[in-house]
Amino acid sequence: MTPMWYIVLSAILFSVGAVGVLIRRNAIVLFMCIELMLNAANLALVTFSRINGTLDGQIMAFFVMVVAAAEVVIGLAIIMLIFRTRRSASVDDANLLKY
Amino acid sequence: MSLSAYVPIVWLLALAAAFGLFSVGIAPFVGPRRFNRAKLEAYECGIEPTPQPIGGGRFPVKFYLTAMLFIIFDIEIIFLYPWAVSFDMLGVFGFFEMVIFIITVAIAYAYVWRRGGLEWD
Amino acid sequence: MDKLKLPDMDYVALLPMLALFVAACLGVIIEALVPRRFRNIIQLVLSIVALAVAMFFVVKQSGEVVASKALTAGGAIMIDHAALFLQGALIVLGFVALLLFGERSLEFGGPFVAQAAVTVGSERDREQTGRELGSTETFPLALFSLSGMLLFVSANDLLTMFVALEVFSLPLYLLCALARRKRLLSQESALKYFLLGAYASAFFLFGVAMVYGFAKAVDFKAIHAEALLGEGNSLLLIIGLALLAIGLLFKVAAAPFHVWTPDVYQGAPTPVTAFMASCTKVAAFGGLLRVLYVGFDGLGWQFTPVLGAIAALTVLVGSILAVTQTDLKRLLAYSSVANAGYILIGVIAGQQLGLTSVLFYLVAYGFTVIAAFALISLVRDADGEATHLSRWAGLGARSPLYAGIFTFILLAFAGIPLTSGFIAKLSVFGAAIDGGQTWLVIIGVITSIILAFPYLRVVVMMWLSEPGESTPSVSIPGGLTSTALGIGTLATLVFGVVPGPLLDLAEKASSFVR
Repeated sequence: MTPMWYIVLSAILFSVGAVGVLIRRNAIVLFMCIELMLNAANLALVTFSRINGTLDGQIMAFFVMVVAAAEVVIGLAIIMLIFRTRRSASVDDANLLKY
Repeated sequence: MSLSAYVPIVWLLALAAAFGLFSVGIAPFVGPRRFNRAKLEAYECGIEPTPQPIGGGRFPVKFYLTAMLFIIFDIEIIFLYPWAVSFDMLGVFGFFEMVIFIITVAIAYAYVWRRGGLEWD
Repeated sequence: MDKLKLPDMDYVALLPMLALFVAACLGVIIEALVPRRFRNIIQLVLSIVALAVAMFFVVKQSGEVVASKALTAGGAIMIDHAALFLQGALIVLGFVALLLFGERSLEFGGPFVAQAAVTVGSERDREQTGRELGSTETFPLALFSLSGMLLFVSANDLLTMFVALEVFSLPLYLLCALARRKRLLSQESALKYFLLGAYASAFFLFGVAMVYGFAKAVDFKAIHAEALLGEGNSLLLIIGLALLAIGLLFKVAAAPFHVWTPDVYQGAPTPVTAFMASCTKVAAFGGLLRVLYVGFDGLGWQFTPVLGAIAALTVLVGSILAVTQTDLKRLLAYSSVANAGYILIGVIAGQQLGLTSVLFYLVAYGFTVIAAFALISLVRDADGEATHLSRWAGLGARSPLYAGIFTFILLAFAGIPLTSGFIAKLSVFGAAIDGGQTWLVIIGVITSIILAFPYLRVVVMMWLSEPGESTPSVSIPGGLTSTALGIGTLATLVFGVVPGPLLDLAEKASSFVR
């Protein structure tokens, strides 16, 4: 079992997240897809860390986790703000801004 | 400058687009659609969730605020742990860096506290 | 146990960033402890002092850059000429934009909402719109964002860059949601900006992971060495660079990653829009330059055609869609997309000439765009700013001074001689011809002509229409907005008439240390 399979897995997870953002409508689900992408990157970092034989990648994963947590807090705050007014978290309902 | 290097990329793009369209397009026709009550429920580790609170199953927003604050302070431990493990090696420099880090977090904490983020009512 | 080899920290070199960061933390404490009515003035003074301190140290260091000592903070930060120029530009532009944040005389309580958590349209919301002082958390947020931008333009490895990217983006998402008027639009713009921004930064991060897999390290020197060596899995490198580019091009608002720009520029509070349009652009292009010139220099021929296509698409999309706009803030947003394209042309031109032109363009455009948004914040009716184009008809008769200034700013955007916009476009196109990208210059000139049309339409509307019932009045600006407007307009004029000093400065700054 070569570690390269983990890279393949992380690429698949990343693609699932990337496609999910494009085809889902609920802001929370969109957001979870973005988190999935970040975690896919984490998996890739840790795997490359193993392949390369350096610890840098694992430390990077720590930073990514913290950044992701900060992003969650800000993202959910914004989504909640909108939800409380509109009673809906669908991104299709957020349609006031257009030309 | 040789543009021929891009030919495989164009092919890959075409293949990827075709595959994506194909899988999204065919899913409604060939995918099995079995009804399962758990599928319609909020995700709770795969089991059917326990009854939700009154009013459409929504929690009061206070839970959310508390959870959010918890996450942001909880995640800081990620940096404390590796530091604690190699505390001896990092020495005084590491200690003061970490003190500064904790002060920074404490500032955020003081803000939350003073502005009433920790009060339940 | 042995002591680890500690990273060398040149704290003086980090002081500009530290000053802003400490001031932002102090700002948070002020928010917690000081009564509401004093906060605005204290925050404003604190921010200006911090920016002055930061600027002082940037200027001080610019005389003492030594290539061998430029690297600091354990190899994470590179303080070279380009970084210092960009930092200085960010601080000055940030200062002008922050003046708009503090303005309280245009409407009661300033441009920001008092309590963002209050549901829009509720009884409580109507109460706070008219009667409560705006929130002043905007100052610490802007300072955090600025310190992130300073870090972003001086980051020497991709991880630091990613963290800095988030540090400067996350506060911006929040700032977008804090408008006092038209709160639904504001919140919606924040949601869109956040979702797309987080999406783009996820791409950036995956790119970092791929490059790490290729180069076994994420600092630019190692990446460059590994890319030149040509061993290792070059597929990872190409994928990594492409993903990194998506993340960065999103931030500079290049097509096809520009879709957020009009919505966010329109919905965000106008001071925040001014801040984003000037500072984010400087920071994002600073980061892009460093990645391309320092990290991936050896790959030049492989990314130039792609970037060229993106630049061409960006100027076309920006200029053509600007023609169809009816809202001034949206119009300026598309113009900002087109300008991102022109700057990209300079980036592609490469060499020192290209770099110089890009740095000059960023500063010149930053000042002009702040002045433009400062003026937009002045034209108001009972519901706040009147940004619809038709409402500006006849403004020339109502208040010739401000209509005149806005005309001048629009002419600068259009690139008429004697404005900074002209010199900026000229130097970018000159560099591109020099760099063998004549086709881009042709597209650039054509789109400039297209782009002049919407600007001139506004000018004609302001001067040649009769003021009607619905023509809003121009508020008398307070000292802060006047200063910001004055600085922006003056800079546009000065850089247009005597561009020499800034061009020299940019030329001196146009060298990266690897």
